[in-house]
Amino acid sequence: MPVIQTEELTKRFPATTALDRLTIDVEPGVVGLVGANGAGKSTLIKILLGLSPATSGRASVFGLDVIKDGPEIRERVGYMPEHDCLPADVSATEFVVHMARMSGLPADAARERTADTLRHVGLYEERYRPIGGYSTGMKQRVKLAQALVHDPEIVMLDEPTNGLDPVGRDEMLALIRRIWVEFGITVLVTSHMLGELERISDHVVVIDAGALLRSSSTSDFTRTSQFLVVEVSAETDAVAATLTEAGLTVKRDGHQLVLSLDDDETYDLVRDAVAAQGVGLIRLEQRRHHISEVFGEDQADV
Amino acid sequence: MNGTVVRLTYRALLGGRRAWLLLLMSVLLLAMAVLLRVTVGVDHQITADFLGAVAVAALVPLFGLIVGTGVIGPEIDDGSIVYVLSKPIARPRIILSKFLVAACATVLFAAVPTFVAGLVMSGTASRIALGFGAAALVASVAYSAIFLLLSVVTRHAVVYGLAYALIWEGLLGSFVPGARTLSVQQWSLSLTEAISTRDLVSSDVRLAVAGVLLAVVIVGATWYAGQRLRVLSLAGEE
Amino acid sequence: MSEPTARTGVIHDIGYRKYDGPRLGRARVARALYSHSLRGAYGLGRSGRSKVLPMMLLGVMCLVAFIIAVIANVGAGITSELVLPYSAYTFTTQAILTIFVAAQAPVSLSRDLRFRTVPLYFSRPLERSDYVLAKFGGLATALFLLLTAPLLIMYVGALLAEFPAGRETGDLLLALLGTVVFAVVFAGVGLVVASLTPRRGLGVAAIITVFALSFAAISTLQGIIRYEVGNADLAGWLGLLSPVTLVDGFQVWVLDASGRAVAPPPGDAGGVVFVLVTFAAIGACWALLNLRYRKVSI
Repeated sequence: MPVIQTEELTKRFPATTALDRLTIDVEPGVVGLVGANGAGKSTLIKILLGLSPATSGRASVFGLDVIKDGPEIRERVGYMPEHDCLPADVSATEFVVHMARMSGLPADAARERTADTLRHVGLYEERYRPIGGYSTGMKQRVKLAQALVHDPEIVMLDEPTNGLDPVGRDEMLALIRRIWVEFGITVLVTSHMLGELERISDHVVVIDAGALLRSSSTSDFTRTSQFLVVEVSAETDAVAATLTEAGLTVKRDGHQLVLSLDDDETYDLVRDAVAAQGVGLIRLEQRRHHISEVFGEDQADV
Repeated sequence: MNGTVVRLTYRALLGGRRAWLLLLMSVLLLAMAVLLRVTVGVDHQITADFLGAVAVAALVPLFGLIVGTGVIGPEIDDGSIVYVLSKPIARPRIILSKFLVAACATVLFAAVPTFVAGLVMSGTASRIALGFGAAALVASVAYSAIFLLLSVVTRHAVVYGLAYALIWEGLLGSFVPGARTLSVQQWSLSLTEAISTRDLVSSDVRLAVAGVLLAVVIVGATWYAGQRLRVLSLAGEE
Repeated sequence: MSEPTARTGVIHDIGYRKYDGPRLGRARVARALYSHSLRGAYGLGRSGRSKVLPMMLLGVMCLVAFIIAVIANVGAGITSELVLPYSAYTFTTQAILTIFVAAQAPVSLSRDLRFRTVPLYFSRPLERSDYVLAKFGGLATALFLLLTAPLLIMYVGALLAEFPAGRETGDLLLALLGTVVFAVVFAGVGLVVASLTPRRGLGVAAIITVFALSFAAISTLQGIIRYEVGNADLAGWLGLLSPVTLVDGFQVWVLDASGRAVAPPPGDAGGVVFVLVTFAAIGACWALLNLRYRKVSI
């Protein structure tokens, strides 16, 4: 049953339209929300949390309407904003304990869970120093910790890998995956980096200028395509001619030949053609899709 | 003096809510002066009391505080002072440029309105307006220097400055005679005493002494602030 | 959940634990924020340096009261009442109260605005009006404590000096009512000004200006109009325009206190107006704060 549902959700600002009749269904798991900067990702999260009212349309989380049942939703949701939001003069422990209490945890439970959560996100000794002296990676972890500390049923992470170096980015992505796989908490992650969402999401929603471009499971997106890429060391034209004669559709792409992969026999035909010409075979691979093609496709359609 | 620093400081100071606060205060002073003139007529004693108690004792120190801390406080607070400090400009020169902006702003918003208020209430009689205008002028320059120095020394300049202005000059000044010799207000009032021809204002401090002390404070505070800026550290919050 | 490792001397990774405990509702959360704000006003729960100023101010307030109590005891043969009546204490020490509000109102609000922590609060089961109520209540309570502690010290001193207990108790209780109103009005005005700027320094300066300048101006005008013009009524009306004279006038009329403002509210009509304006001021502060936080960008 879907955890998040929106129906014709629209948000208009005086200058722009942030969301344009967006209709999506999000199932439990890791959901990636992809779009260029300014595509409306943060706006969607803010509307779901009740921080910002929609211009029209409906949205619900856990089946509860975001406008009428806002407080109930907010009890079960964790939010990690994109912008800096940490005070500089308190320690991570103090801050997360305070935020846990603001989420409704009693004082001792708040302290206990803070200690646990900070350990889970990977903050050890640093947690007692003031946040002002932290690196970006540590600050992102604190932000994540305050979103998790009250054991929400869903967390919404807005650009969690912003400002992190490659190692930090990998660690954050692994942590996000763990949140679903080990902790059982649904995650809604936004990013403008398509590659990283491919790695960790079960389901991807692509937004462009506030409108839905595509919403499907990651495996659908990145399934192997039905194309075979062949690259030979010489005599590319001769090989292409042989294959065409054998009945395959061959397209030339620079040095490479792209064949439609109908069945396993195609591989035998390629082997034979290459051997007949006496040339070396450099590449023989199945081409996979990337999420970026979604943007390409639709721009081509337009 | 560095032109760029002057320009940047001036824009930062007068470009936001601070400017509205300053303007409001000046307008209020003038409004009250007009009100008094209209309801009470011309009474030089009232003029002296009013300008002494409201302009010199309250408005000018507050102005000095807001402007003196405003020319450098916010930059230190959010760390953007590093951009100025990392340029090849001598630190004392930076302080001098900022002091110039602060002094001009306080003169413009505090001293001139005081003078105008005096004119409104008493005309040019007995040079009261001139006397109080001059007092406001030197006091505002002195306060600017003091609070600029305080802002370089501590992040909590505003609060300590307030404590000085209210407690030292206000409370203690009324009860402890010795404290009055070290009060910027008294020094500036001695100037008024000297300028205005009537015997409306008296100061506990002689003009010569006041003049010397004012000069010492203004020059000393500005110089020391320049020295402290040399060793400014931005680490930590509080 | 991962299995606990059984090696000795190693921290056991007991994995992620679900939370099945109680989740307190809005009211308890608001109360937690209230006590956090109250403690923050005195620097408790924060770094050492943030305690210095509020504790020092509290100390000075109590010291003055202590001196008065000592004088009452030492001069027991000469005086039969306190040198400074309870209800006049706040007015006389308003400089300390002003500095406290000016310093601590920004501490309460400006941090959340400046570091943009506000969205984290509002994405939790805490309504915006709860946030405002908690902050307002916290600072008002802090001010109430600041104003009440010295009164209690003076009271104890008066009892020790064997002043009539009934009279002292009555005066004290009336004065306590007055301090409640002082605390709420000062907290309200201070917070409204502090909520206008994320810069702490400007917030402090602006609050001080509002309180100190209004008092200096109104007081001077009252003096001039009462003594040099001779119009005591107009001077009384002017008292509406500055927070401290407003509440002092309220005290004088409602609690029959000995006022310290230059001129009391003129007659019964004046008294009623003072009461209405006091409550209107409190209501206006509440409304303005709510408005501010409804519009805060998140």
